[in-house]
Amino acid sequence: MLVVTCPVCGAEGDETDFHYGGQAHVRRPATHDPANISDEEQRDYLFIRHNPKGLHFERWRCDRGCGKWFHAARDTVSMEFKAFYGISELPPEELQAQAKGPWADYFKSRAKA
Amino acid sequence: MSGKPYRLPAGGSCIDRAKSISFSFDGKSLQGFAGDTVASAVLASGQRLFGRSFKYHRPRGVVGLGSEEMNALVGVGVGARHEPNLRATQVELYNGLAAVSQNRWPSLSFDIGSVNNKLSRFFPGGFYYKTFMWPKSFWKHVYEPFIRRAAGLGKAPEERDPDSYEHMHIHADVLIVGGGIAGLTAAEAAAASGVKVLLVDENPVLGGIADLSAGKIGDTTPAAYAASAEARLRGLSNVHILTRTTVVGHFHHNYLMAFERVGDHDPALLAAGAPRHRLWKIRAGQVILASGALERPLAFANNDRPGIMLASAVRALVERYGVAPGKNGVVFTNNDDAYLTALVLKQAGVGVRVADSRARPDGALVQQARAAGIEVNAASVISAVEGSHGVKAVKIAAYRKGQGRVITETRVDCDFVAMSGGWNPALHLWCHNGGKIKFDDAIASFRPNTHGDAIAAIGAANGTMNLAETMNEAVAAGEAAARAVNGKAKASKIKLPAIDEPQRGALEPLWFAPATGGYNEGNKHFIDFQNDVTAADLELAQREGYESVEHTKRYTTFGMATDQGKTSNINGLGVLSEATGKSIPEIGITTYRPPYTPYSFGSIAGALTGKLFLPVRRTPIFQWHTERGAVFEPVGQWRRAYTYPGAGEDKHAAINREILGVRNKVGLLDASTLGKIEIKGPDAAEFLDRMYTNTFSTLKVGKCRYGLMMNELGFLTDDGVTVRLADDHYLMHTTSGGADRISAWLEEWLQTEWTHYKVFVTPVTEQWAQFAIAGPRAREVLQKLESDFDVSNEGFPHMSFKTGRLGAYPVRIFRISFSGEQSYEVATPANLGRGLWDAILDAGREYGIEPYGTEALHVLRAEKGYIVIGDETDGTVTPFDVGLDGLVSKKKADFIGKRSLEQSYLKGPNRKQLVGLLTEDPQEVLPDGAYAVREVKDKPPMEMIGQVTSTYMSPTLGRSIAMALIENGKARMGEVISFPLEGGKVVKAKITDTVFYDKDGGRISA
Amino acid sequence: MLESKFESPLAHRQSAAETYVDIREVSERGMIDLRGQPGDKKFMAAVKDILAVDLPKAPRTSATWGDIRVLWLSTDQWLVTCPRHRAEALTQELTAALQGIHSLAVNVSDMRAVIRLEGERAREVVMKGSTLDLFDGSYVPGTVRRMRFAEIAALLSILEDAVIEIYVFRSYADYAWEFLIKAARKGSEVALLAPEAKGAA
Repeated sequence: MLVVTCPVCGAEGDETDFHYGGQAHVRRPATHDPANISDEEQRDYLFIRHNPKGLHFERWRCDRGCGKWFHAARDTVSMEFKAFYGISELPPEELQAQAKGPWADYFKSRAKA
Repeated sequence: MSGKPYRLPAGGSCIDRAKSISFSFDGKSLQGFAGDTVASAVLASGQRLFGRSFKYHRPRGVVGLGSEEMNALVGVGVGARHEPNLRATQVELYNGLAAVSQNRWPSLSFDIGSVNNKLSRFFPGGFYYKTFMWPKSFWKHVYEPFIRRAAGLGKAPEERDPDSYEHMHIHADVLIVGGGIAGLTAAEAAAASGVKVLLVDENPVLGGIADLSAGKIGDTTPAAYAASAEARLRGLSNVHILTRTTVVGHFHHNYLMAFERVGDHDPALLAAGAPRHRLWKIRAGQVILASGALERPLAFANNDRPGIMLASAVRALVERYGVAPGKNGVVFTNNDDAYLTALVLKQAGVGVRVADSRARPDGALVQQARAAGIEVNAASVISAVEGSHGVKAVKIAAYRKGQGRVITETRVDCDFVAMSGGWNPALHLWCHNGGKIKFDDAIASFRPNTHGDAIAAIGAANGTMNLAETMNEAVAAGEAAARAVNGKAKASKIKLPAIDEPQRGALEPLWFAPATGGYNEGNKHFIDFQNDVTAADLELAQREGYESVEHTKRYTTFGMATDQGKTSNINGLGVLSEATGKSIPEIGITTYRPPYTPYSFGSIAGALTGKLFLPVRRTPIFQWHTERGAVFEPVGQWRRAYTYPGAGEDKHAAINREILGVRNKVGLLDASTLGKIEIKGPDAAEFLDRMYTNTFSTLKVGKCRYGLMMNELGFLTDDGVTVRLADDHYLMHTTSGGADRISAWLEEWLQTEWTHYKVFVTPVTEQWAQFAIAGPRAREVLQKLESDFDVSNEGFPHMSFKTGRLGAYPVRIFRISFSGEQSYEVATPANLGRGLWDAILDAGREYGIEPYGTEALHVLRAEKGYIVIGDETDGTVTPFDVGLDGLVSKKKADFIGKRSLEQSYLKGPNRKQLVGLLTEDPQEVLPDGAYAVREVKDKPPMEMIGQVTSTYMSPTLGRSIAMALIENGKARMGEVISFPLEGGKVVKAKITDTVFYDKDGGRISA
Repeated sequence: MLESKFESPLAHRQSAAETYVDIREVSERGMIDLRGQPGDKKFMAAVKDILAVDLPKAPRTSATWGDIRVLWLSTDQWLVTCPRHRAEALTQELTAALQGIHSLAVNVSDMRAVIRLEGERAREVVMKGSTLDLFDGSYVPGTVRRMRFAEIAALLSILEDAVIEIYVFRSYADYAWEFLIKAARKGSEVALLAPEAKGAA
């Protein structure tokens, strides 16, 4: 039973007070260019998720608190939360630097933008 | 002869000889003292036999001291209060307690199952896998009943449990597991800096085995020191102490479960309202494990005979309960600790001698024993035990390490054996959440190594087997834990007294004692007593190729019983080590899993039984439905009225009456469960266009529109009518089951994708009681209700909305229909709901108003071909599949799920499509979910082409109707398809469109 | 004239007896769900004009003026409580005052049931169904917090050290009541958490 802290309202509680929302930083293609999405791009958006051993970026909702969505970085081995950050934010830079897979690319592209 | 021949004339620190207690064991009346356990009191009476073993039905007695007991499992209590499989060593005596032995038939002393012992050559390790394999049909009728009958240890009560249980949550800065010297000392050290300390111990009294330990702390005994430490702790407001409470599991982020036996020991507490058990859910900042160690048995021939006990248990029997384990015993050991037992026995006047497997034992305790006149046979093992229901004699054989055969042996008369193979740190909690362990040759056991959580082990739990080091570790751990909590580094506040304890000689592991005669079924060396696993079974598993210890565990069931290998694990590894020539660390250890000891189902359920088993949601009309005799149907957590059978009326007749009432007169439905969400803001219209497949920005104020929602996969997930209250303000209806899900869904998109939208979403489902007044006379009922608005068909047409009053009732009213009839949905604040409901019934009486339930609702909508999300859809159905193409916007660039509808796999030619079905026999109602096949064959497999989604007898049409999802259904109108049913019957039905009644829809806008 | 008839969510329940804290339904409370942006000065000012109290911005706090008490629910959501008979008029006043300002005020007086616990061990009773640490010093009077209670969602409002109100959705009122009278049953006090030990750090 994990202890989660909401970065929006500061509420701390058991994971059952929160709602896990899957992988973070997944881009929805249709929001940006609905007319030009390949089947592969849509497939990846819907189904392909990264499942690393170690650092994982994920979404949570403060279900029994302020109701807001937020992000968390968690080590899937030790179950330790490395950071909680806002739903429109990127993780702390040292965690961005440790990110692998699609997150690494995403953080780099956001840094350029 | 007195009733308790083995009660010593004096002594017994736990018992109160002034308070006699009457109880029964297997129906026999016995006497004990307050403070006794069932084990001590029964042993005092001279009875050794407590039960039969699991596989071989061998007679078994008490072995252990407390929660590690694996043999003496008893059932306690009668009738509904009976609880099976309790460890007799932990069950505290009270007046009237009734205990029974288990796993014996017909009686404890004569047991038919014990023939398994004679046949044990047929029950080797892995016998389940070897024997109960074939033929398949034997499983149901032969093997399973046999296993069930043979394997059942205790019996579960058949009546409902009359006691109550509960959960409790607690947060502690520092949790200390175990209240022995280590735990008490750590608690004092931690508490000194003011942090909140919780100390939990599974025994009724604190102190651990201080009372069974040698030495002095300052100028007092360990037991007296423990008592003074407890007194100091009880004086502190920041320390909480829980006794009779076992920490059964350690989970992520220092979350622990503890099982408190609140009322088991005292029926008066239960009668006064106490819960029988309480399950504590503990969140701890820091955890200190001071859970002690468990003594190991020794593996010698027939080491399971009643009367063979752990040395510590024998010591406790004498010291705590004033009970002699027998008249004359042998202490069999490979370490110094058991000499304490010999000394205690000697002092109590019980005959005792020692067989020590070590060549030259000469620690301080050994010397003391010799000085006390106790005969010590060094380099000796027990090679045979005589007696089956007890011990009559043992043979003591000369032993040299590495020697496998008995060369010389001496027969010694005795009636009990106290054995000690050393001590295993209680690592279970350390390992539950991934703690690492390492093997320590000094104790011939594993001890804690590293852990990812804020947890420390001290004292015997850490493999530290002497007092001075234990107390130093305890102080350090307590202070470190406090420091970790409050961040302050403080100088040690705890001054430890000087400690004087006997110098101990080294332990020498002994994993297997050679036996007299052959090494076969007559000579069983038990490793796992509870699952009847012997050393031979483990060796056999090795020979058969089960090299991994985890495979051996499963093949032999070693360590898999309810005691979770407490006494057997290391001994088993020792045997495997000798069988394979690998070291114990190379073999590895099997996984320790929660719980540490079994805890009751009652405590797991807590208060959530009976009415609280599942939250049931009640509409404001619930009482009326109940009084009216409604049959209820669960819809999510709601209970909705399914139908209202009258006196002498069955459900079908009632449903038909209700349906015809709506079609011909007027009906009233409690639709309060429908989801209601207010959506407001300058971007509300655009937002809804994103959420729905169809368009809501074009909806006129005061008008209603039916909307469809998909998920991102393109599959239907909800539907409902949404009304535009103002330019920037909508009221959305969702399905009853979808209310919470959809409001969370809307919030999610607003917060995570379209964060720039200015839209507020406020769920208001429960603010409103909502009723459908449906049927050709609905308007007349409404007119009679003193409406302050125009209810004429022209003034209030289909799919429009009004706010107003019915008499004094404020209402929102929607002209919408799910029955195909003229219909109004009236919403009023929930606390006025019952009043308005009654008023509508009054007003409708002269029109023959029929309250109708959800089943009538479903038939009415099916007659009209309206879909129900969850009936016609199953999470893989698109709007196109159900023929609602017209509700999927072609103009909008993007809405949830739109792009997925274009994915190749959703555009294939053979999608199932929703159609109507008319059976050839109009009285034949297809079963729900029946499969249509391409071609009927004599037997399966047959190729399936679709399935029935809704099916009813329509009283309106006087025939059956159904809807189904059928491959290419739209192109097959008029085709007759076949539904083979169970039993060989085949129902044929013609494919039609889905609207069975009032195809032009005239009634709805009448 | 068709008169309206009021029936509170727990009207069918007898008052709780044999419990070690007092438990009763509060049915006279009006409630308004108010949404708006705390960073929007116009919104905050307009609300204050009507309620005479600043909306609390700090999470899990409340603010009181006269018979109005505002409970913080989220960063953009409050529950305005008032006497029930005032709720509808107050909602309309708020809506009128907030015309043109991004906001939403809804009278939700009938959406929840309110159950009041009173007694030295009130916190202990709540903790039988909640993972919150109500003995932590941060749960001072005035604190509000949404929580998972038994198996349902609830809103906790601490009025005084020994007076707690629990708001639950109306449909769950009977369930919450049943849980509370069971949790507070005489004889089931948690000895460990005796009131005298409550002040522990």
